[in-house]
Amino acid sequence: MATEYSVTPGKDLETIDINVNVGPQHPATHGVFRMVLTVDGEQVVDVDPIIGYMHRGAEKLSENCDYRQAIGYQDRTDYLAQFNTELCYVQAVEKLAGIEPPERAEYIRVILAELNRIASHYMFMGAFGTDIGVFGTAFMYTFRDREIIQDLFEEITGERMMYAYFRAGGVAWDVPEDFRERCREVLSAVRKGIGDIDGLMTDNEVIIARCRGVSPVTPEDAINWGLTGPMLRATGLEHDVRRAEPYCIYDRFEFDIPTGIQGDVYDRYLVRLEEMRQSVRIVEQALEGMPEGPIMAEGLKRTLRLPEGEVYMRNETPRGEYGIYLISKGGDKPYRLKIRSPAFSNLSALRAMSIGSYVADTIVTLGSIDIVLCEVDR
Amino acid sequence: MAQERSQETSVAEPPPGSVADLFREALPGVQMSAEQTALDVAITVRREDLIRVMQTAKEDERLAFDFMRSLSGVDHLDELEVVYHLYSYSLGHAVAIKVRCPPDDAHMPTISHLWQTANWHEREAAELFGFVFDGHPDLRPLLTEEGLGYYIMRKTHPLAEIEEWQEDYLKAAEEAVAQAAAEAGVPMDERARKIELAQKKAVVIKKAREEARGRGLAGDEERAAVKAALKALEEEEAAKAEPKPAEAPAKPADDRAAKIALAQKKAALIKKTRDEARARGASQEEERQAVAEALKALAAEEKSG
Repeated sequence: MATEYSVTPGKDLETIDINVNVGPQHPATHGVFRMVLTVDGEQVVDVDPIIGYMHRGAEKLSENCDYRQAIGYQDRTDYLAQFNTELCYVQAVEKLAGIEPPERAEYIRVILAELNRIASHYMFMGAFGTDIGVFGTAFMYTFRDREIIQDLFEEITGERMMYAYFRAGGVAWDVPEDFRERCREVLSAVRKGIGDIDGLMTDNEVIIARCRGVSPVTPEDAINWGLTGPMLRATGLEHDVRRAEPYCIYDRFEFDIPTGIQGDVYDRYLVRLEEMRQSVRIVEQALEGMPEGPIMAEGLKRTLRLPEGEVYMRNETPRGEYGIYLISKGGDKPYRLKIRSPAFSNLSALRAMSIGSYVADTIVTLGSIDIVLCEVDR
Repeated sequence: MAQERSQETSVAEPPPGSVADLFREALPGVQMSAEQTALDVAITVRREDLIRVMQTAKEDERLAFDFMRSLSGVDHLDELEVVYHLYSYSLGHAVAIKVRCPPDDAHMPTISHLWQTANWHEREAAELFGFVFDGHPDLRPLLTEEGLGYYIMRKTHPLAEIEEWQEDYLKAAEEAVAQAAAEAGVPMDERARKIELAQKKAVVIKKAREEARGRGLAGDEERAAVKAALKALEEEEAAKAEPKPAEAPAKPADDRAAKIALAQKKAALIKKTRDEARARGASQEEERQAVAEALKALAAEEKSG
């Protein structure tokens, strides 16, 4: 017997919005991240991002370590761009202590940081493709190529992920003798890899259909929401901390700052792709200019004691402006160490970017932020 | 301009023409003190002026700080502080604005209506430091959904306190170790002695290091001083432990130990006899004979003894 549905006549029916929970364990959330979507049919009415599943108190822990030990926690914030975060931290310490690292160390740092940027963007390309629904197309190629860079890092530091290789005053030890040749090998693989991705993804019909015009952001909104990095540049604002407030030796290299036009998801992808090419350019120049010589500043004590003072050091990491606010009140431990996480600020704009779009587009928008939850939660 | 925090000695004045002068120009009559930090100029303002200062910082053409890059809470023990790091995309300059408040009255006006990005930053600072940002649209805890109930980033909060539930675990673990040791036949007082020794060593190392630092030693010299102190401790302990083996012979010596003792005795005897024979100028044959005789005598002595 078929079930009969009947509507009581005369009673008003009302439409209610439904809450949909996404995460914390979900392939599209890139780690442990939860969001509660309030949907009206397919349309998103409200988004409540819930973070903190990876909150470890890295800032508090760093305040209880000496300046060298705290380097390890930097690796564990943005675990896809460890060299970039380490670089920011050790520079903050150097600024306060008045240490000048030797030339060779600076070149090594730039080369590794830029290679790390490429590796991180590879990761983005692969994971993003998975979000959109072109799993095999990009993922396999990008992970194959990322592994080539990862191997080089392992040869230098002995670690696959948690390098702890940069030190205040230089780097922990010198690079292997065949560093230049190995870098050139990696670069030629990267150049080919970028071409592969470009060919596979840029004109891919699925990607254009899912990304073009999704969550466009104006430059004014981007600044107001605190977006930085590729998210900001995709809106058309030509800003890069490496150029605007040069640190390390970035003022010596020639590179372009790619920008987008509409600030949508597709532009964010294009900006990242072009950034990889620019990073290759920087590494090439740095390899040319890298001198021989010491890799550590001279006359440093085993335990670093900093004078009183404070600094807000900012770097351009693959996700945007990474900041270390370091306060010293003397002694061998930071008094306060605040990590300004770019993914944290970028993610806080998810609500504003997603309201009014479709549920499926929210996932794409989230993917385009390129979050690393360890960095968001710290 | 009144210097509010003149008691701090190490404050470096910002150079003339810095962003601090622009602030003074744009905000006449507002009490502020400026200092030059390693990269930026930091300006401390009073809490009641904060909103006015921030509004001007964003909207005044000379300042035009359109980007709030970072918001940090700081616990100075006697006071809490919020530090806003601002940046201007159009003019390319940066500044840090600082506001202080007493820890038992941690209210701050919100700036999330000026820069939306401050929304999450303020939620985080509220959760970790216990600030209350008045006027914030949604001041729920951010990193822990239900909130912690205490403020972990305050200096008064210890890094890790042993909690009640952990105490039981620690006790259970200790008991398990003791049990395992008892089963394995290791006397507990031996273990306790080792622990005591390790603790003593730690104290000695710390003291030696502090003394060495006090004398202005560093690096290798410091290490050498610590080593010397440790050696002294070991000797002291060895001297204390000396009477103990004296009691040992009371126990029946086991077979293996007796054999070893005998072998050592033999070796000593052989060496002695050989040396004596050589001193006499005896030939190799005579030497061998002397050693054999001596060994025979020893065997006879052992048997009778």
